Amino acid sequence: MGRFKTALINEIEKLYKRKKLVVALIISFIIIILGQLIILGVNRGFGIRGVGSMEFPMLVLSVVVNTILPLFTALVAIDSFSGEFSNNTMKIALTRPVTRLKFFTAKITAILLFVLFNLLFVMVLSTLAGLIFNANSFTLRGVIDIIVSYLVTLLPMLVLTLVIVVFTNILRSGVGVFFLSIFVFIILKALGMVFSRYSGILFTSMLDWYKLFTISPLPILKIANKFSMMVGYVIILFTTGYYLFDKKEF
Amino acid sequence: MEKVIEIKNLTKVFKNGRGITDINLDIHRGEIFGFLGPNGSGKTTTMKIMTGLMKPDSGDVKILGHSVLEDFEKAMEKVGCIIETAESYPYLTAYENLKQFSRYYKNVDDDRINEVLELTGIIKYKNEKPRKFSLGMKQRLGIAAAILSKPEVIILDEPLNGLDVEGMLDMRNLIKSLAERENTTFFISSHLIHDVELTCTHIGILYNGKLLNVDTTRNILNNYASLENYFVSEVETNGKV
Repeated sequence: MGRFKTALINEIEKLYKRKKLVVALIISFIIIILGQLIILGVNRGFGIRGVGSMEFPMLVLSVVVNTILPLFTALVAIDSFSGEFSNNTMKIALTRPVTRLKFFTAKITAILLFVLFNLLFVMVLSTLAGLIFNANSFTLRGVIDIIVSYLVTLLPMLVLTLVIVVFTNILRSGVGVFFLSIFVFIILKALGMVFSRYSGILFTSMLDWYKLFTISPLPILKIANKFSMMVGYVIILFTTGYYLFDKKEF
Repeated sequence: MEKVIEIKNLTKVFKNGRGITDINLDIHRGEIFGFLGPNGSGKTTTMKIMTGLMKPDSGDVKILGHSVLEDFEKAMEKVGCIIETAESYPYLTAYENLKQFSRYYKNVDDDRINEVLELTGIIKYKNEKPRKFSLGMKQRLGIAAAILSKPEVIILDEPLNGLDVEGMLDMRNLIKSLAERENTTFFISSHLIHDVELTCTHIGILYNGKLLNVDTTRNILNNYASLENYFVSEVETNGKV
């Protein structure tokens, strides 16, 4: 456990120093401000009610979870694996007293912490923006919905991260992985729309699963179904990713 | 004498037919072992297997009694190494790079980091990022990282790459003093035959993936005018030249 912790601290430091986190936070900030300005414009210009203060963070989440969050997750995952493969820096840590399993898990955990931090940042900022610019008042149920929705989004993002990590361990080029990830993402989204009956099994449709947590009464069976599906994906993808990583020679 | 590195029946053959075949080698505590061989003879492959960067087709390597295949963490606990090229994270400073490595060991604090930076002559570049470093400076940083944890075994693949004359002398003195003062065991590969002659206490010759012979430098120099003559003779004896 000690060696895993060390590898995790090192990965977090590397992630922080590469400035990707700062860029992600700045872009998230701009999107929230732009979103809020558009809503204000619609509200004042056309007299149409945009969203209430409780709905704004959820609106932001629905945009972020399908756009910049997968994009930055992909960039960070590609940097963490393909970047280190091509710069030949992967061997720096691999020749230290830490097993590949711990090192691989530390890398995934660091990416996941990046996603979590980004989600929490967007949540706090969009909640504040919603509170300042929109008229409706907050309710406790609303606040809980927001927190739960943002937190549960971490699970589909883990699936997405692992898909990209598997790609990074198959393809040599980081650019190749990036375009393949975008291609697969778009194809799966399109398939989900065309064959909506079967969209439930595609992980891209699971990015919106947080909406299930805002329904009253809570659709427990549907949540359990999606949760099991995602856990299944995580187990398969983690095992595949680790198998490929462990077989790699440097 | 205590065996520090045990290589048993190590074989790794690539698709192109190159690689290493049935390498057997024991290295004892305090030895400075020079691994001599031409380009493509399998030196780096052997060292990559020794440090877990590659897996062998068959055979095993034990370092301080622990197999690198079965008990990697224990095997690498007291090992420092540079394999192929001395790499560092270009976006971290020299200090931050060493700090990353230091977290894996209990006995390494900031004083030790400063000490190795001083020893390798790059203390004044402590807060600079290696992307601005010359090849020689990167090599010095790599050596600083390799000796950081005061390892009992140091594996160096072409450690003099990119170093100027002063750097080579410094490095030779550093290796010799660590072996003498702290009984550190070295496993060094090099194609700089003269430097191997001056630095190493034991020499093994690798040719076409096979270990031809292992002997002490003293014995070799008693029987041959120079290490170069010995190398040519060994290769000729085995019908390769």
